[in-house]
Amino acid sequence: MLERTRSIHRKLLLVVATTTVAALTVAGIAMEFYDLRTYQQSSVNDLITQADILGRASAPALSFDDPRAAQENLALLKARPSITAAAIYTAKGGLFASYLEDGGADPKFPSLPEADGSRIEGKELVVFKRIVENDEILGTVYLRARYQLFERFKDYLGILSVVMVASLLVAILLSARLNAAVTRPILAISEVARRVVESRDFSLRVAKTTEDEIGSLADGFNAMLTEIGRRAEILEASNRELEQAKDKLRELNAELEQRVANRTAQLEAANKELESFSYSVSHDLRAPVRAIAGFSRLLWEAHADQLDAEAQRKLGIIQSETQRMGDLIDDLLAFSRLGRKEMQRSDLDMQEMARSMYERLHAQHQGPQVEFRLGSLPHAQGDRVLLEQVWANLLSNALKFSAKREKPVIEVSAISDAKEHIYFVRDNGAGFDPQYQSKLFGVFQRLHRADEFAGTGVGLALVQRIVTRHGGRIWADSKPNEGATFYFTLPKEVPDGSH
Amino acid sequence: MTSNMALSLRQLSRLLAFIGTVFIITTVLVPAPAPAEDNDALEQRVKAAFLYKFAGYIEWPQNLFSQPDTPITIAVMGDDPLAAELSQLVVGRTVNGRPVTVRKLRDIEPSAVVHILFVGRDDSARLGEVARALQPRPILIVTESEGALTQGSIINFLLVDGHVRFEIALDTAEKKGLKLSSRLLAVAQNVRTDTP
Repeated sequence: MLERTRSIHRKLLLVVATTTVAALTVAGIAMEFYDLRTYQQSSVNDLITQADILGRASAPALSFDDPRAAQENLALLKARPSITAAAIYTAKGGLFASYLEDGGADPKFPSLPEADGSRIEGKELVVFKRIVENDEILGTVYLRARYQLFERFKDYLGILSVVMVASLLVAILLSARLNAAVTRPILAISEVARRVVESRDFSLRVAKTTEDEIGSLADGFNAMLTEIGRRAEILEASNRELEQAKDKLRELNAELEQRVANRTAQLEAANKELESFSYSVSHDLRAPVRAIAGFSRLLWEAHADQLDAEAQRKLGIIQSETQRMGDLIDDLLAFSRLGRKEMQRSDLDMQEMARSMYERLHAQHQGPQVEFRLGSLPHAQGDRVLLEQVWANLLSNALKFSAKREKPVIEVSAISDAKEHIYFVRDNGAGFDPQYQSKLFGVFQRLHRADEFAGTGVGLALVQRIVTRHGGRIWADSKPNEGATFYFTLPKEVPDGSH
Repeated sequence: MTSNMALSLRQLSRLLAFIGTVFIITTVLVPAPAPAEDNDALEQRVKAAFLYKFAGYIEWPQNLFSQPDTPITIAVMGDDPLAAELSQLVVGRTVNGRPVTVRKLRDIEPSAVVHILFVGRDDSARLGEVARALQPRPILIVTESEGALTQGSIINFLLVDGHVRFEIALDTAEKKGLKLSSRLLAVAQNVRTDTP
């Protein structure tokens, strides 16, 4: 604070001192120049006047050839100590009378007078002045005087420096007093600024003491404080509102989450109920279906020869439909069991799994030779039994729907991105119409007639359920008669919890 | 080399000019006194010049001159060579704007217009008579004889150490209404104010 004050003081002092010195120097140089010029002119004029007076006084002496009188006139120059030598020449150029100051050096009077004029010879001023009376040149006055231009210059310089030092001192003393008048209001403003920063009290104001630039600075500072105070209030108010809104949002969110949890629990309970219902239904259905199958077989074995051809055919239909009903119930049981069973996760070699599953299915398969292309599949985390089920269903579908091709081709491969592995199974079989894609993964949904391709319509629903439980997705694309590709993804990171 | 030559040429021309000037001054402006001319003749020439120059230091009564350019008349008695010399001297010259005329006087002509009257040594015996005849008139009487001031002369030439000097009778001049410049008095050998 003190350092800053000092620096402003110093600056102002510097300004004052510089201005004073500069102004005095310029004025001094101008005055000195003027004075020396005036000195020179007045010296010359003085000497010429002196010569003129001397000439007029000596005119009779020359007229009447009286050197004694001229000599007496010249002797009067003793009263003028600046004149070192003087002489009067006759019209014909002869030295008529001469004067030399006491103790003066070698006179060296010019041997001949010159025309009117003056000149500076070293440190002396020399003047020649004709004596004219009645248009007749009677003679010439010669004067030689000390010309102390340099001494005068030195004296002047001395006076100038004394004046400069004195006025510098006065200026510094005065400005030190005046400085306080300038700096005090500035210090007051900075003091208020410091207090505002410390206390964050925007209601503080600077007292305006002057009507000058500093006064307007104080006004501006006060206006700024008002504005900042207003802004701060608005900001605080909106902050408060925001905080309230956030609280409300948090409440709503918690409420929503609670509601979702409740609904989920209800849903899960309903699902469980439904699953156990379908399980018990399937389980309970099995017994009568087995009975029908058992008794129709007994009927066939014991009484086939008593039945005519028509009865045999109808019994055959009963047997095959009973078989189909049993298959449906088995699949339904498997599907419903899926939701009840805990998943056993482990690291799985998907490539090996797909290969062995294909070999097992292919061994049971009847039909043309199939070209099986197996790419490189990454390992995955999951339930071995469930994922084997996925491969089994997808590969058997591929075998089944490509069985009518002359050269069936089945390709299994995978691609990976940052989050997940995408496995796919592609065949060149019957394919399906993409507009029915949404029905593809529904339970008991079939896109082909049963006499065309066998199946219960539960397989893909089961696959979807398994993939979803692993945190993945499943989809397919196809065109009729151009084969189908089934994709499923498994996340690289194992999700917490398993459903 | 060239500049040296130029310098020396300039110096030479200056030297020649200086020599020429000195020659002219010594031969023309300051002619040595002709050997034929004796000291008396020289003395009379100086006196003639003085006579003319006196005119510039004298103030006559205002009514004496009708016009601003009315000539000043210098009359010479008893010294014809001086009168001749003076006549030559005043040609074309003026004193305070007035031309100067010279005339010789044989006798006193009380009515003649005369401002300065020179009475030569030859006529010094008649000085008293002349002075008395012209006494009230403002005429500057100049003489060249010892004791002339007591006989009515105002300026009297003397010879001091071979130089022409003069003495003045100021009271006589005042009586005649003539005013003599103090500058003239300053170069006078002797100024008298108590002439009998």
